[in-house]
Parts: sequence; C-alpha cells; structure tokens
Amino acid sequence: MPEFHPGNWAETAVNWLQTNLSWLFDLINTVLTGLYDGINMVLGGAEPLLLAGIFAVIAFWLRGLIAGVVAFVGFVLIDSFGLWGDAMSTLSLVLAAAVITIFFAVPTGILAARTKAVSAAVRPVLDVMQTMPAFVYLIPGVMFFSVGTTPGLLATIIFSMPPGVRMTELGIRQVDTELVEAADAFGTSPRQTLARVQFPLALPTIMAGINQVIMLALSMVVIAGMAGAPGLGERVYAAVTQVQIGLGVESGIAVVILAMYLDRMTGALNVHVSPLGRRAAAKAAAMMGRMQFVRYKPGTVVALSGVLALTLAAGGMNMISSGSGEQAQGGTNVGKGKQLKMGYIPWDEGIATSYLWKEALEERGYKPGLTQLDPGPLYTSLSQGRTDFQTDAWLPTTHQQYWDKYGSKMEKLGAWYGPTSLELSVPSYVKGVNSLDDLKGKGKKFHGKIIGIESSAGEMKILKDKVLKAYGLQGEYKVVSSSTSSMLSELKRSIQQKEPVVVTLWSPHWAYNKYGLTKLKDPKGAFGKGEKLYNVARKGFAEDEPTVAHWLRNFHLSEKQLTSLEAKIQGAPKGQEQQGVKQWLKAHPGFLDKMAPVPGQKKHGNDAGKSVSMAYFPWDEAIATTYLWDNILEDRGYKPKVEQLDPGPLFTAMSQGQVDFQTDAWLPTTHEQYWRKYKDRLTDVGSWYGPTSLELSVPSYVKGVNSLDDLKGKSKLFGGKITGIESSAGEMKILKQVLEDYGLDKEYKVVSSSTSSMLSAVDKSVKQHKPVLATTWSPHWVYNKYPMKKLEDPKGAWGKGDHIHVTAKKGFKKDFPELYGWLRNFKMSEKDLGSLEAAIQKGGKGKEKESARKWLDAHPGLEDKLAPVK
Amino acid sequence: MSRLRAEHLYKVFGRRADQAVAQLEAGTDRDELRAQGATAAVIDASFEVEEGHIFVVMGLSGSGKSTLLRMLNGLLEPTSGRVLFDGDDLTALRPRELRQVRANKISMVFQHFALFPHRSVLENAAYGLEVQGVPRGERERRATEALELAGLKGWERSWPDELSGGMQQRVGLARALATDADLLLMDESFSALDPLIRRDMQDQLLQLQKSLRKTIVFITHDLNEAMRLGDRIAVMRDGRIVQTGTAEDILLRPATDYVASFIQDVDRSRVLTAGAIMRDGKVDAAALTDGDGRARPATVTTETPLAELFTPFATSGHALVVTDGSGTPVGVVDRERLLAALAEEPRVESYAQGGTGSGVCARA
Repeated sequence: MPEFHPGNWAETAVNWLQTNLSWLFDLINTVLTGLYDGINMVLGGAEPLLLAGIFAVIAFWLRGLIAGVVAFVGFVLIDSFGLWGDAMSTLSLVLAAAVITIFFAVPTGILAARTKAVSAAVRPVLDVMQTMPAFVYLIPGVMFFSVGTTPGLLATIIFSMPPGVRMTELGIRQVDTELVEAADAFGTSPRQTLARVQFPLALPTIMAGINQVIMLALSMVVIAGMAGAPGLGERVYAAVTQVQIGLGVESGIAVVILAMYLDRMTGALNVHVSPLGRRAAAKAAAMMGRMQFVRYKPGTVVALSGVLALTLAAGGMNMISSGSGEQAQGGTNVGKGKQLKMGYIPWDEGIATSYLWKEALEERGYKPGLTQLDPGPLYTSLSQGRTDFQTDAWLPTTHQQYWDKYGSKMEKLGAWYGPTSLELSVPSYVKGVNSLDDLKGKGKKFHGKIIGIESSAGEMKILKDKVLKAYGLQGEYKVVSSSTSSMLSELKRSIQQKEPVVVTLWSPHWAYNKYGLTKLKDPKGAFGKGEKLYNVARKGFAEDEPTVAHWLRNFHLSEKQLTSLEAKIQGAPKGQEQQGVKQWLKAHPGFLDKMAPVPGQKKHGNDAGKSVSMAYFPWDEAIATTYLWDNILEDRGYKPKVEQLDPGPLFTAMSQGQVDFQTDAWLPTTHEQYWRKYKDRLTDVGSWYGPTSLELSVPSYVKGVNSLDDLKGKSKLFGGKITGIESSAGEMKILKQVLEDYGLDKEYKVVSSSTSSMLSAVDKSVKQHKPVLATTWSPHWVYNKYPMKKLEDPKGAWGKGDHIHVTAKKGFKKDFPELYGWLRNFKMSEKDLGSLEAAIQKGGKGKEKESARKWLDAHPGLEDKLAPVK
Repeated sequence: MSRLRAEHLYKVFGRRADQAVAQLEAGTDRDELRAQGATAAVIDASFEVEEGHIFVVMGLSGSGKSTLLRMLNGLLEPTSGRVLFDGDDLTALRPRELRQVRANKISMVFQHFALFPHRSVLENAAYGLEVQGVPRGERERRATEALELAGLKGWERSWPDELSGGMQQRVGLARALATDADLLLMDESFSALDPLIRRDMQDQLLQLQKSLRKTIVFITHDLNEAMRLGDRIAVMRDGRIVQTGTAEDILLRPATDYVASFIQDVDRSRVLTAGAIMRDGKVDAAALTDGDGRARPATVTTETPLAELFTPFATSGHALVVTDGSGTPVGVVDRERLLAALAEEPRVESYAQGGTGSGVCARA
C-alpha cells in the first residue's frame, strides 16, 4: 500500500497560513480576546457576593423563589472554594463563546433551513466540527494564536457550533408547512414569514439549541484550559495533572454549579422570549393553582431594577476598592505594576519555582500572571513572545526537541538546578534489587511491567531505546506508558500493599522524600548524563526586563531547598500554592532578598558616589579583573573609571596619584623593576592569585607527554617546533634556559611570534586534533577553552612563580577604606579566572564590561562575597 | 361578467413540465407521463365563477382539486394557462405584485385551520391586516368585527389551543373575512370537523354569504356538502374537470359513468325537489279530483324536497299539485314519477327539462 499522509499537507497549510495571513489571525485574536476581556472585566471586577445576588435575582425572575435562593447558595459556595475569579473567567469564556457561536449558528441554521444546497453543504462540515477531537484544532489554534484565551475560545466555538446550527435548521423546518402556506396565502413576504411565523414558532427549538451550545461550551473548558485559557478548566487540568484530588473536586463542583445555573436559566429563558413558551407557562400556572407564592416570579421590570440596583452597588464598591488597592511599598516596588507572563509545566519543580517567582515578583511590585501549559504550547508561546519566561527547562535532553525547534527564538537565563538524573526506582523493601543489572531475571516478580509516565516524555524514549537494550531487559519487561499521576498512584498503591513495583522516576522528586525508594544504579550510564534546569525566557526578555533577568540568572536552589519548597506546596491547601510559598519563605528569611535583590538599594557601599580610577595593561587577567571590579563598583554606587595604559606609564601615573589602583602587578619577579622604583609611593593591597606559572603545554589528547622530560625524542610529533610568543617576553628568555636544562635545545626550535599567533596555532591544532607544543602561562583562559595540559617541570627550571597583587596609590587605604578591605580579601581561583577570561574573550573587543557583567550575573553570590555590604 | 376565470390550467410536477403540457394537449395519457417522471396534477382546467357565487370543486383525494385551488391565488404557479381575476392575469404578475393581490383581494381558509399557535385569537384574525400594514387600532377593530361575524364574540383574548375544532375554523374564517377580500378560497375547510359541526358551519357560511356575497371557490370531497353549498359544481377526476354544472345537473344528468357512480350515495330524497321531477304544464285540477269532488289533491311547492312528499302520498292515492311561490299550480307529481326519481339508475330521458338552479333544496 502506498502511504498517504494528508497530515503533511495540513502542516504545510498551517505554516503557510501562519506566515501569510497573520493579519487575519491578529484580527480574530483581537475580536475574541476583546469580547472575552470585556465580559470578564464586568464579571470578574464585581464584588462576588453582589454578583451572586445579581445571579440570584435573575434566577428568581426566570424560575422563581427557590431557584433564586439555590443559585445564590451555589455561587457563594464557589466563592468559598476560593474559585470565584476562575469561575467568572470560565463564565466569561462560555458567554463569549456562546455569543459568537449563536451569532454564526442561528443565521447559518436559517439559511440551511431555507436552501437545500446550504443544508447539504453545511451538514458534513458540522459533522467534522462535532466529531473531530478538539485537540486536533487546538494545535493550529495554539500555533496561530499562541496560548491563552483565543485558541481555547476558538475550539469551544467550533465544538459548540453544530447544535446551534442543527437545532435552528430543525426548528424552522419543523414549523407546520400549512402555517407557512397560510402566511404565504395572506401575502406575507418570505422575510416576513420568517420573522412573524417561522422564527417565533422555531424559537423553543432554537432555544434548546442555544442551551446545548452553552452546555457544550462549558464542557470544553477543561480542553480550553489545556491551551491556557484561564478559569476553572485550568484548575481542573492542573488538578488532574498534579493529582490534587481536593482541588479537582472543588473545581469540578464549581463547574457543575455553573452548568446547572446556565442550563436552568437558558431553559427558562425560553418561557420569556418565545410566545409559545409564554403560552405553555401560562397553561402550567393555570393548572397549578395553589403554591402560588413558590411559583411567584417578579415581573421583568422588577427583576431588571433589582439587577440594576445591585449592579450600581457593585460598581460603587469597585470604585472604593480600587482606590485603596494594595501595593508594594515604595522601596521594594521595582516592577511598578508591570505585567509579566509566566508559563509552567505541571511538574513539581516547575510548580514550586513558578509560584516562588510569582510570590517574589509580587513582592517586588510586578504583576505576574501564571499559566499552566503542556511543554509544546509553552515553548511555542515563548518562541512567539507571548509568554515571558518559564523556570523548568530540562536541557539538554528532555526538552531537546523544543529547544531544537525554538531555541533561536528564546534565551536561557541561567541554570538554577543540576544535575538531575533519570532512573528506575523500586520501593526499598524490594530486596536484592539495587541496580539495573539486578532486574534481569526478576521479570516475574514485577509482573514483567515497568510503570512508565507519559509516552511523550523524553525519559520514556531513553528507557525504551537505550536502557532496556543496554541491560538486556527488553522482552522480559514491558514499559507501560500512562501518566505521571498514574505512575505515582500506582507507586502509592503498591507501597500500601507492599508489592514489588518498578517505576520510572527522576531526581529531584518529592517521591524520594515521601517514600522509601531505591534508585537503581546505572553502571552502564545508559540513562545518559544528568541535565540542568534552566530558566528560559522569550527573546529580548533580558533587554526588556534586565532586573528580572538578572534575578533569574542568579537564581539557584539546592536539592534540599527545592524539595522542602515542594513539600510545603504539597502541604498547602489545594489550589493555594502561593500560601505554601509564603510559609516556605518565612522559614527561609533573607532568601527573597537574595533571590530578588532590590537593585540600587542597601547594596550601596559606604563610599558610594566616590570616583575611582582604575588602569590596566592589556593582559588577559588584567582586563578580566579590572572590568569585574568596574561592574562591582558600579553596583556598589561608586563611579569607576577605567583606562588602558602600558605598564610603565601605569605605575608612574599611580605613583602620582592619578590612578587609584590596578589589579595586575606580578610580584616579585615580572614587575619587579616598577615596584622597586615606585614602592615608596604605592600601596601593596595584597595578592589575589598565585602562584602564577610559566609552562609548555600540549593538548590532552597527546598521550604519553606529561612532563618536560617526556618531550625528549618526540620532536617529530610536534614537527620539531615550539610555538612561542613575543620574543621580548621574559618567558621566552627563560624558555631557552629550560630547554637547555632538559636537553631539548637541539631537538626543538622555538618559533617566536606573538601571543595571538600562539593562541590561533593552538586553536587550529585542537580543531584538527593535531599535536602542538605551545608556550603558555597560568593563569590563562586557554586552559579553560581548550583541553590543554601543562607539562610538569620536575627540575624547577621555570623558577618560582609570581603572585598577582593589587597595587594602589599611596593613601588608598585612607581614601577608600571600604574598597581597600574588599580588595585585600579579593581572591580568585584559576577556574573562575579562566572562565571569566574566556567569557570576555568570547564577548569580543569593546564589550569587555558587558561580558564581565554577564559572567558576574552567572555567578550568583560572588558579588556579595567580593564586596560585602552590611 | 365573471369575476374569476380559469383558462386551460395545467400543473405538471416533475421534470420537463412544459414538454409534458404539449404532450397532454396532443392527447398523451396521464399514466404515460408518469412513466417519464412527470406528474400531471391538473389538466386543462377551465371554469368561470360569477360574482357572489359559491363554486364548488369536488373530487376524491388526488384528483388535483387542491392544486387547482392553489393556482388560483398563485401559491402554485400554473405550468400553463391563465387565471383571470377581475380581468387581471394573475399568472403574469411578479412575486411582489402577486403578494399584494393575495394580501388585499384573495383570502384563504385551510383544511386544518392553520391558525398561528403563538398568536391569540384576535391576533390570528388580524394577521392579514397586519401584513397589509393596517395600524394596530384599526386592525383590531376590524378583526373583532370579523370574529363577531364568525360567531366568536368574546373569545378575542383566547388562544387557539383553547378552542374546539369548529371554533378554530371560525377563527380561520374570521381571518379570511377580516381582510375584506372579495375572493375566498376554501380548501376542504369543513372536512376536518364532526358532521354536526360541519353542518352548522355550512349553514353559517350560507348565512354569511347572504349578506356578504363574496365570490367563493370551495373545495370538498363530500358530494352532499357540494350539493348544499355550490351554486355550481365542478367534478374532478385524475386532474381533469369531468363535469361542471348545477347540483341538479350533476345529479340528474351525470356526464360520465364516473360522476354517475359518484352520486349514487347521495340522498336524493333530500337533494331533489318536487319542482325538479314534476310534470310541467297547466294542471287540470278537475282531473285530479275524485268523482265526488270531496278529495282535493294535496299541494306542495316546487321547493319541497322529495322526502316530504311521502306523507301526502300516503294519505291520498292521487297525484300532488305543485305550486310556485305565489300558489299558482305549475305542475303535477304522481307516484310513478317519485319512485322513478328515487330509483338507483337515473334515466336521463324520463325527466322533463324543467329543472332550474332552484331545483336543489340548498336554499331551504
């Protein structure tokens, strides 16, 4: 059979539409969200009790006293669940969808009833709309409109359209033909026939259709919630994916209350809008006779004035409350009400950190919105710039597919946790199973089953493709894919019954805190290396929101912090994650300030405002540290100035007090001449690095060459060449002596060139995987960037190393006591210095300061360590 | 001058209707057409209706009588032929003009009443006026009047579903009368009613007609009803009008066997009158007297139905003298004539030519 995939065309078509008809989608988006926002503003803005009162009056008007009371109780119940806002969002969604649906469905139904061709054309379309799984048009919906209200609304409209059209068509068609003929016989025009006869007579059926439209719209809220539409649907979806039974039940009840209210009210509306309905009601009333007061319904005018009075009251309350709304205090109000859109995947660490950030951002005066999404929609949304950031990107493996697809349209804002690990785990009472190897032959014990998670998860793929094969478990075990929540409940069930079970898990996970579990060792490394959890933002976020980006970059959680936060959130009342976060923050004083420090406040140093002049000569470590301090001093409120000078002029200027300090004095050897000359007029603040060393180095893939001794007889390997640097450099002079000491002077020729030539030679060789012998020194970023190894110098021929000092003008200590203290304690490891140099190198010329800033941001806590302020 | 004239009306449903008409004109059979997928509902129907007359179209179901009726007000467009109303060709009008005619000049009463269930009795009666655009006050006044005419005074605020069938049809009648249309089309309007109520309604219609003098086309499948109501009667069979004439014509001189078999069940004694069966001419009163002159012959009028002749015959062995309205003897009926008239097989030759339109007791 030849394969046939109309799906490919659909994908092409969707892509084409996305590029060529974006204006149309924007228009649709504007209309839909505008309508929704409008309704939601009215419903969501009002005082819950007053609005519940309005709903009750409507129920009283439409159905009588009992209905009014029940409606009021129902809505108050929703409010007491704390789901009022969500319920109103859902109601707005349903109403907006219903309005649009009816707007299209009724005319279409009328057309279909009057024209056979339209009816025939519309019928299959309706069939498709009604039966096509809603998820299918949710995908392009999300692609066209990103996540949020619009795709959900659209899916809802599509799904609820058919009964509206069908019932309208049916209603009009079933009007007695004799009545239509009678109208015709009295000279009624077709349009008048529709208005005077067909429509009024079809109205009960059309109203039944509208009732169905609304009910179907309500049934779609959960699916709409998956696409990020706010409201109860989102709650239910969250509850389902996070196994929060309480929240699920409460949201479910709220949906039911809404459903019953809408159902009864639209049903009763028929009595009021259609003459036939009125007639039937009058008949029923005549039959009833007694129990009149129960049946009493206020007239339309009375009901309207009641609604009006309550509306006015609600409006007034709003005015009052908006005047005294809470706001973050002036000092910590960094965000000034700026809105941020966060998305999260309902994974525990995602929930935990997202709510943590939500709380932190609110504390800082931002208005963060939080939307739960599946990974696909979330990354789509990020790439389209509709979501600002998320905190739970598992890279490089789990979310690789999304990163590959959208990576260029997003930016990482640092890893806040890692490494993670994937593993299979068994309850600890299962003895004798400690590693994946142990699973072999025990298939019967576990019923040949490994309880998996969502089949789409990356871990499942690795498990099936690699792990089972690596340990020869395929055939013996079957991976049952279900969902994380199912896996966890299966785990819980098994543990309660003390049954053996193998589950697919990962770290960090709260299950390890809650249950006694054994992570099965993976001696073959089949699960691969662990990942890191990144903050990922839309492109340009760091530019738009530098402060938040800065905070995110510096964000870090230890496993203990993360799991305790998760536990607090788990323990909080369902649906009130933020309460859990608040409690956790209380238990971790100072965390918020560390996580989201208020820039420019309290962190200023004592000497803030003072000008400091720094100078450097263009050595890598000098550039690196100078710009590092440049950034730090700026943060501390100083006014640093940086200039580049050659060593001689630099020391001269400093001795004259024109330069306050510099960071790169190699003592006692390299800069001895200057030091000796000016030491009376200089201050040695202290050494921050040392000892330095000079050395020859080779790439680490060159085997068997670890020391200078090993070079002997290997000249062929390196073409008899040692790549040197500037011939004027001190190191080149010493190198000659070194070669003599090790008897290499005949065998090797030192090619002097320049530092940059040496580095490019290394770069070229490493890329081509060739041996190279280079003249290098430490500290240098070359070790950070390339896999170079320093050749040992057992004979000490290179001599003792220098220490790198910070030197300053005379009287520096008196002028800058605080800075003096910081510099005196300044220390940097070779690794840190190497990575800072590499970062600056990578950033390119002219961007040293920005590169140093990025590096600083990527090292949370360093600034406070280097320049502590009380 | 007739008010309504139908000229060679054809209605063919199905494919190639025009061709079918040509074929029918050429003498093709209806069944042959049906084989081709065309159904001839009405074939070459022509008739005239005088002002103030009730013209009854009678036929069994499927005979095409309802189709014929609907061509008269343009609800169905004739495949061929013309409908002239007051000299205007309705078939030539455009839809909008046709609607104007229907709104103002022609109204219709339906078999199953076709009342609008979402309107009150008054609103139903006022419907035609509403379409005409008559202001509310006036149309309610006129609708109330029409309801009063139809015998529904006091029911204006009721709803159709609260009324009995007969009352509902009175609403239908009032609705048709309210527009002051001159031409009334009644489509089996009394067929759905119980026999007693049907009779009441027939009486009421005749009563109203005395004062209103509308031009009425009345469709029925009930020959007795046709005989009672119709000034003239057209009998339809298989889409064709097989005979047009007065009730007496139909009854006494059926044009075809079909009509003859149709009228078998009619209660002749109630339909025929003495005037229709008497021997004309000057009556020699003496010849009818006993020799002793004691027994004067009984007299009846020309309008007396045959059913009422039995009693006089029973008391005297002689013939009866038939007098006209002024009491002048105009003819004689003897036992032989009476029995012959009631005989099942009417022999056309045996009757005198004296029958007039008033030979039917409908006006009684």
